[in-house]
Formats: sequence, structure tokens, C-alpha cells
Amino acid sequence: MDNAVWLAMAICAVGTFLLRVLPMLWMKRHLIRQQAAATDAPMPVWLTVLAPTMIAAMFGVSLVPANQSFSAWLATALGILTTLLVWRRTRSLGWPVCAGVLMFGVVEVVALVAGG
Amino acid sequence: MDTAGNTSPTTSPWRLGAKDALPLLGGYIPVAISFGLISVQAGFSALESTLISALIYAGASQFLFIAMVASGAPLWLVVLMTLLINARHVVYGPNLAPYLPPSRYWPWLMHGLTDQIFALAHSRLPLLAEKDRLGWYTAAALVAWFSWIAGTALGAVAGAQITQRWPLLGDVMPFALPALFLVLLAPRFTSTVWSLTLVCTISVAMLLKLLGISNGAIPLAALAGVAMFYLLQARVNARIKNGVKAHG
Repeated sequence: MDNAVWLAMAICAVGTFLLRVLPMLWMKRHLIRQQAAATDAPMPVWLTVLAPTMIAAMFGVSLVPANQSFSAWLATALGILTTLLVWRRTRSLGWPVCAGVLMFGVVEVVALVAGG
Repeated sequence: MDTAGNTSPTTSPWRLGAKDALPLLGGYIPVAISFGLISVQAGFSALESTLISALIYAGASQFLFIAMVASGAPLWLVVLMTLLINARHVVYGPNLAPYLPPSRYWPWLMHGLTDQIFALAHSRLPLLAEKDRLGWYTAAALVAWFSWIAGTALGAVAGAQITQRWPLLGDVMPFALPALFLVLLAPRFTSTVWSLTLVCTISVAMLLKLLGISNGAIPLAALAGVAMFYLLQARVNARIKNGVKAHG
């Protein structure tokens, strides 16, 4: 990489870091001020709604398979169903993910073998 | 590992954080290997590719960065587009702020605040005792960061051989990410308003991704979800108001 590309990379790195850290510091300061003033309106409602919807959006985007074949969609559907069933039973984090990936993999392998 | 209840873990918070971050590796390592491989093919060295992953540490924008630099795009445009894609991160810190006990390390630890670490931390931190939160977050963020760096280095050095030898691994392991997001989302389907909001958000995100709007899909779908929430909440409030009037 020449010097100009290094500089661009450094600006991207610092910029991304600031995008992550400055809003957190701003909110921390806001919360401390609210606490000092003994008022009870710490977080704007839209911000608290945005957090779960961001996670839901990440889920939606990650659901679309890279290779959009019937078998990939079937593997996705069965993988999600398995994850949900294991989560309902265990209420844990690791096991449902393992089971979902396993089911997804099994369907992918079966589809590959069946497809020749 | 129990995800319910406001209890302090009996195991060390560091170990718990590392354990909670393990499902992320299924998604991080294959994508990082792909990034390392594509970066080397685009003309970057293995060391440069690894440094990009260590310092920028934001998946989609890194792919865009190397593609634009390799195509000879103006560098100001490369910087602008990279930062624009990462702009969604501005809502993560404020949402975690109420759960972060005072420590001078938090600002530096925000370097590890990726989409997935945010999703994990937003669900997990409220359940942990205050004294355990710094250790939990540090461990989870470090596991994810090092896996991304190591995956990139591996992809840059041996990515071609790995994808040739185990082609299915790269297809199967990334399913850990939707599975993890589902586990983090499932406890939030607590009311009709929230269920409809989340289903709407997921549907819009899928639709935008299918339409090829990959980079804008997350913020746009999330905003659609917020609009849906306010719409439904307004209807509920109006119904309650009418009910009060009818009974009054």
C-alpha cells in the first residue's frame, strides 16, 4: 500500500472508532446529568426501540442465503426451526446455535449428495 | 448457560464472556478467511490485510474498502463510503451506556463494538451484576476481535487451499450468525406490539437484501421497525383512551 492508501485506512479506522465511542460517551454524560438533576427521563424512547429492531434487521439480512437455491432456503428454514425448538427447551445460548448449525449442515450435505 | 434472571454468574465473568462469544466464531472465521483471500487477490499483502482487519474491524466496510482501492476509486470517496456503511454503529453505544459501570477502559473497548457484539451485549449485560460487566464484555469482545484477525491472516496466507479443501465449511458455519440473532431476539416477542414490530423489521430486512440493497438493509429495516412500533403503540393508546371514555 502506498502512503495515501495507508492514510485513507487510518482515517477509516479512527472514524469507525469515533462512530462507536463518541455516542456512548455522550449518552454516559447525559445519564450522569439526568441523575444529578434527579429527573427520570434517561433514554429517548426511539433509541430503546431502535436497539431490538437493529438486532431484528441483522437477523433478517443474515437469513437470506448467499446461494439462493431451494435447498439453501430449506436448510435455512429447518435450521431456524431447530434453533427455536432447542431454545424453547433449554433457554440457553450455545446449544440452540449448535443444533441450528448442525441441522443446516445436514440439509446442505443431503442436498449435495442427492444432487449428485 | 442461563439467559434468564438477574443473577451473577458463579463462573468468572471473563470465562462466561469468552464462552458467550464462541457462537460468533462460526460466522466470523469463514467470513474473515474470505476477506483475507479476496484482499490478497486484490493486491494487498497478508500483513496489510491483517492490519485492515485489526484496525477498521467492520466486515462489510472492509470488503468495500479493498474493492474500491483495487478499482482505483478516489480515496476521499473510499473513506466516505466506508464511514457511511459504519454509521449504523452510532446507535449501539448509547443503548449499552446505561449498563456500563464507571471505568476508564470503556472508551477503548468500544473498538470491539461490532453488530454481533452489540446484539450479544444488549441481551447479556442487563442480566449480569455490575461488577461482572467489564470482564464479560472485555472477554467477549477480545474473542471476537482475535478470531477476526486470525481468520483474516489465515485467509491471506492459505485461503485458496482452505476453500478448495473444505468448500462446504464456508457455507455451513456462517449459519451460526442467524441462529445466534434468533436466540437473542426470541425473548423479545413479549407482546403483540413487539411481535409485529420485530416481524415487520425482519421481513423488510430480508426484502431489501433480496433486492440487492445489502449495505442499507440494516438501518432502513430498523427504521421501518421503529415506525411500525410507534404506529402500533399509537393505536393501542387510542384504544385505551376510547375504553376509558366509554367506561367513564
